[in-house]
Amino acid sequence: MRPFHPQYILEVLPQLIWYLPVTVAVVIGTVFFGSLLGILLAAGKVRRGRAGLVLANVYIYVIRCVPSIVLLFLVYYGLPELLSTFGIDINSAGKGFFVITTFSLLFGASMAEVFRSAYEAVDRGQREAAVSIGLTEFQAFYRIVLPQCVRVAIPNFTNALVNLMKEGSLAYTIGLIDIMGKGQLIIGQNHGSYSLEIYLALFFLYWVLTLLIEKGAGFSERRLTPEKKRGGGASKCI
Amino acid sequence: MLQVKNVRKAFGDNQVLRGVDIEVKKGDIVVILGPSGSGKTTFLRCLNFLERADGGFMEFDDIHTELKSASKTVVSKVRKKTAFVFQNYNLFQNKTALQNVMEGLTVARKVPKAEALARAKAALDKVGLSERYDYYPSQLSGGQQQRVGIARAIAVNPDVLLFDEPTSALDPELIGEVLAVMKKLAKEGATMIVVTHEMSFAQEVANKVIFMDGGVIVEQGSAKQIFTTPKEERTIQFLRRVLKDYDYVI
Amino acid sequence: MHLNTQFMWETFLDVLYGIPVTLKIVAVTLLVSAPLGFLMAVSKSGEGRVGRRIIVAYVSLIRGTPVVLQILFLYSLLPTALNYLIKEVLGLTYNIFNLDPIFYAYIVFILNTTAVLSEVFRSALATVNSGQREAALAIGMSKIQAYVRIIIPQALVAALPNICNTTVSLLKSTSLAFMMTVKDITAIAKIDASFGYNYLEAYLVIFIVYIFLCSAVQGVFHLTERNAAAYKRPAAS
Repeated sequence: MRPFHPQYILEVLPQLIWYLPVTVAVVIGTVFFGSLLGILLAAGKVRRGRAGLVLANVYIYVIRCVPSIVLLFLVYYGLPELLSTFGIDINSAGKGFFVITTFSLLFGASMAEVFRSAYEAVDRGQREAAVSIGLTEFQAFYRIVLPQCVRVAIPNFTNALVNLMKEGSLAYTIGLIDIMGKGQLIIGQNHGSYSLEIYLALFFLYWVLTLLIEKGAGFSERRLTPEKKRGGGASKCI
Repeated sequence: MLQVKNVRKAFGDNQVLRGVDIEVKKGDIVVILGPSGSGKTTFLRCLNFLERADGGFMEFDDIHTELKSASKTVVSKVRKKTAFVFQNYNLFQNKTALQNVMEGLTVARKVPKAEALARAKAALDKVGLSERYDYYPSQLSGGQQQRVGIARAIAVNPDVLLFDEPTSALDPELIGEVLAVMKKLAKEGATMIVVTHEMSFAQEVANKVIFMDGGVIVEQGSAKQIFTTPKEERTIQFLRRVLKDYDYVI
Repeated sequence: MHLNTQFMWETFLDVLYGIPVTLKIVAVTLLVSAPLGFLMAVSKSGEGRVGRRIIVAYVSLIRGTPVVLQILFLYSLLPTALNYLIKEVLGLTYNIFNLDPIFYAYIVFILNTTAVLSEVFRSALATVNSGQREAALAIGMSKIQAYVRIIIPQALVAALPNICNTTVSLLKSTSLAFMMTVKDITAIAKIDASFGYNYLEAYLVIFIVYIFLCSAVQGVFHLTERNAAAYKRPAAS
């Protein structure tokens, strides 16, 4: 049994944390582009058009079935070739580009479901009531419908976000240096020693990130929930 | 036959039962009335150990037990001598009507399957559901579900039937069919303790009416006594209120 | 864009040998994890505070960290740890490094899936109305009878869609088993691809294979659901 050095976990943590911005940047970039894709897909599912519905459903079905790592490799090896047939050269693009592209494709499918179920959870009567008292369509959406949608969407969104962050750790397999990549790099430099300590440090970091996301979600969910205990003054004062 | 004394029960700071006594003889139809929150449902649930009372004593034929410290065997014995009809029916969702009724016979009482089947069918026939043996609860109306609930209770030949507001969850037009079944059972000599808001049932069927409020029995007597010459002010007020509603419904 | 279709066909034939390996990992994992996860779900809702704390922490840790990290960690820990255990503690001569790496895959995925399934079962048990238990007790069943005959069958039906989801993500996670040198679908494709740098073709092939497998899994669950949930359907008459 090789020696185990718990203090090395503390030593290596700062080196890993140095690369936390990369991990976070991948997540933020993916959330941005993935949400755009998700809105498109959700629109395809909610609107009347049959073509949009079929397209969105097929896309979501396929993505649901494919392991992240397979898609990551496909994008990494396939996208340059695909685009080069249109005369576009992305061989010089950074690793981050492929990672964010891959995870946006995956995250978009989850977001489509998040958006759709949030949209459908809010009663149609809410919009109608808002319009009936003289709000414009935009005001009705922005002031009445959207806040309710957001609240409904938070738990599913949180799930998708945590999943994204965890799956994002696969980015090291194509050579992106985020916290996971840095950890692997250090292990390589050490010729495999201290691997347990480094993995434990990574466990700690990812666990904390997950708990932070979940705490944040719980907090915003409470903020958006109309507080019943706050003495229902408003309803009585009409 | 059944006698309980000084039943007490609190949920946290809320003292729901403050010493309730009751005596039931064979063939008695006891109706417990009272405003919501008076503790009548809790009392009934304590009798079947669905709630564990904080104190009180039970004599049930040869069973003599403290309610609080009753052992598993005693609880199981009491449950086998009683049957409970729930407000929300609580039919087993994954079983057909017939299986619901058989379950208490084959599983809890080890009645042979053939005999259980015959008894279950007889019970369902009695509540007028001969046509619905193989229906699942989700395929039955509320009134039908509650009649299955009653069949499930009578199939085990209990010494005492406990009814917890059996018609409160039903649409008004379905209440009649359930009450009719209960009246029929009463006529056949079943022993019943019924918590209900149905005044007509209490007036017509009960030979003993108990009025509860605030966790104690305020007044008890024959149906005639309670409905025509109530003594306690709280009883009078309660009856005035509900009988007014009751006239209103009719 | 040029695709080497000859290579793709050959890879496809090679990959077929990986399918039983992948399915074996999925099946063994589910068979072990389902009862374990169920026990955890029950004990979580039961008494025993210390046990419950441990389970909550375990589930949170497993669900809060990447599978790939769990794989890398256990794969660098287990062989040496087991070797030490066998040689030094038990004094046996078995060479642990000859062990089929699929056993490490079993361990990793069982640890992971058990945590996920315990949550699935916990929420499924919570969907069964407490009145069902009361009614079972009231007609004289014991607690265990109530569980086995009334509560568990209903909870299982409620859990089926989520068990299906869990199985699908387990199937996808097994694609990481190549990191433990298990020769599953992905591993075979990777090896084939590396000879002539035909990565795109190889991954396209298994992309399709995974879609097929995933569809098969979902199909099986849909059939099960249809049979198991007979009691939720409206009457035929």
